[in-house]
Amino acid sequence: MAAALPVRASVPAAGQAVKQHATWSPYDDNGGTVVAVAGDDYCVVAASTRMSTGYSILTRNKSKILQLNPKCVIASAGMQADQETLHKVLHSRHVTYQFNHRKPMACPAMAQLLSNTLYYKRFFPYYTFNLCAGLDDEGRGAVYTYDAIGSYERVGYGCQGNGKELVQPVLDNQLKAASPLALPPQQWLSSLPLEQAVDLVKGAFVSAGERDIYTGDDVEILIITKDCIKTDRLELKRD
Amino acid sequence: MSGIGSGYDNSVSTFSPDGRVFQTDYAQKAVDNSGTVVGIRCKDGVVLGAEKLIISKMLVENSNRRTFPVDRHAGVATAGVAADGRSIVSRAMSEANQYKSFYGDPIPGHVLAERLGSYVHVFNLYWYVRPYGVSTLLATYGKEGPQLYLVEPSGTSHRYFGTAVGKGRQGAKNEIEKLKLEEMSCREGIQAVAKILHQVHDEEKGFELELAWICEESGRQFQRVPQQLAEEAEAAAKAALEAEDMDD
Amino acid sequence: MPCRYPYVTGTSMLGITYKDGVLLASDTLGAYGSTKRYKSFERIRKVNDVCVLGASGELSDFQYIMRLLEELSDDDFCMDDGHHLKPAEVHSYLCRVLYNRRNKFDPLWNSLVVGGFYAGQPFLGTVGMIGTNYTDVHLATGFGNHLARPLMREKHRPDMSEEEATELMRECLKVCYYRDKNSINKFQMAKVSAEGVTISEPFALETDWKYKLFENPAANAAGAW
Repeated sequence: MAAALPVRASVPAAGQAVKQHATWSPYDDNGGTVVAVAGDDYCVVAASTRMSTGYSILTRNKSKILQLNPKCVIASAGMQADQETLHKVLHSRHVTYQFNHRKPMACPAMAQLLSNTLYYKRFFPYYTFNLCAGLDDEGRGAVYTYDAIGSYERVGYGCQGNGKELVQPVLDNQLKAASPLALPPQQWLSSLPLEQAVDLVKGAFVSAGERDIYTGDDVEILIITKDCIKTDRLELKRD
Repeated sequence: MSGIGSGYDNSVSTFSPDGRVFQTDYAQKAVDNSGTVVGIRCKDGVVLGAEKLIISKMLVENSNRRTFPVDRHAGVATAGVAADGRSIVSRAMSEANQYKSFYGDPIPGHVLAERLGSYVHVFNLYWYVRPYGVSTLLATYGKEGPQLYLVEPSGTSHRYFGTAVGKGRQGAKNEIEKLKLEEMSCREGIQAVAKILHQVHDEEKGFELELAWICEESGRQFQRVPQQLAEEAEAAAKAALEAEDMDD
Repeated sequence: MPCRYPYVTGTSMLGITYKDGVLLASDTLGAYGSTKRYKSFERIRKVNDVCVLGASGELSDFQYIMRLLEELSDDDFCMDDGHHLKPAEVHSYLCRVLYNRRNKFDPLWNSLVVGGFYAGQPFLGTVGMIGTNYTDVHLATGFGNHLARPLMREKHRPDMSEEEATELMRECLKVCYYRDKNSINKFQMAKVSAEGVTISEPFALETDWKYKLFENPAANAAGAW
């Protein structure tokens, strides 16, 4: 994998000609975009499946979404190895939670756990950009958005990863969200019907795929409702 | 202070006046009372066989193992306290593993036998431990060819052409001495071992026969004798014994 | 030792799946910088009857990794219960080993390719020195990702026959050899299928250097040899 191959860097030797030396970084950005939109009684979560390094595509079909239970999923962009590790940690924490509590973890609880897990590695962070999404205890859509070291906030919709600069304005515009600065605080859940929300997410990904080289190939879409998680797939351009 | 040991049998750190360490002797007795285990070195490999007394009618077949590989080229059969046996097996495995990672070569049989001997011997030196109640038959196939060793509870280890431990050891050893081991192949060996174990078994209750070998046919890897071969050998052994009984 | 660098390295490792198995292939060079130091280094090794491992990058690290796997296989043998590591398990294990070493800032300097065949399914996966990993129907490490992968994307089908797959692999090897300075014309190809693992004897490929400047490289440099 090109990602892991030694990169050439120049290290000047004292008083000598510049010497070529292989060096390495513990981080690599494998790209990808993740999006989630919460509705009154649903949540749409989507992630591109391209995995890249630099200007190379490594594979066209790598899932970025962890399905923890029928009401909570986590989608992560960033470095694949950290993302996989994070998902494994959360998965095993979820299993032990179920042994202890005899029920699946609720989305708000998982959101806090994800924050704690990220902050635990504050000084050698997971290079991942996450969304935690699902339905809350009242059955309303829930989306939590994070930075790499665990700051998080509940929002009505969110996106992370390479395409976020392209996707976020589209969502802001189309979902006509009230400004988070408005007082008194306004409802930020999407009032869109589910079908339109899915179309919006698809449209946003098509746009991101057009301009962002790290977003492409396929989009894996999960539609979370109180009954089940449905999966859908959208093909993007492979260039 | 009366009794058979007269007080000298409580600890391995005290000799009796006539020069015995009773705890060591008792450990040997634990072995002597167990099911018979036989090992022979044939011309092309080593065969180990164990007579497993059936401790319960409800016992699942093959769930009480007596032969164990400890590396690809080495395996053991244990007689005596089964749990002690497992501990010896894991020690042998780690010795073999350690030797290979250090020297990059499989551990030679005599080294493994000596190391097991030294390990077992330590438990005959201190008052706060008890000796292993296990005799270990060790079969190896390395650069020196096929070899058979016996490690006893006292820590002694010797190389044998053929030997037996457990209840029927005396009868089994007599029978082994009659065999022409240097002309015998392992194929013939498994039948001979099966026959001996049936011969020395003298209880009403039946027993389960466990056979393992290491030879050319097994690719110089220690393994249980393939089920079909083992069954054929046992059947042939029984038939041979019945034929001998008829002659008498 | 946070700042290590590789000494003796192997170049690209290629892998493709086909109808009833997988193929791995690479050259046999161990390069010390740009010196062709070891010319018969076997960079593809058997793990067990259903799995092989190929490595590019630091070759001493690869030998260390092989030792880890051999110890695991020996343990499987001693357990004597018929269980052994499946290709996906070997891949997952290696991902954890490499990721944990990068977390210690003491990486194993390899890109590894795991090829296997189990339960009627071919397996092909790779992992890099910082633990990034994926599985695909075809893959290549290092230069191979630039040179061979486009050929694979064009010509590979999962339902290829063994002959077709072998032919594609030889073409990929040839392109890598033409363009990769740190490679030699001595290759090994490994096959894993229902019949088990076979690793070929080293072989060479027919090359054609009749391109004009290849024939007389000194034509425009008077005074050179």
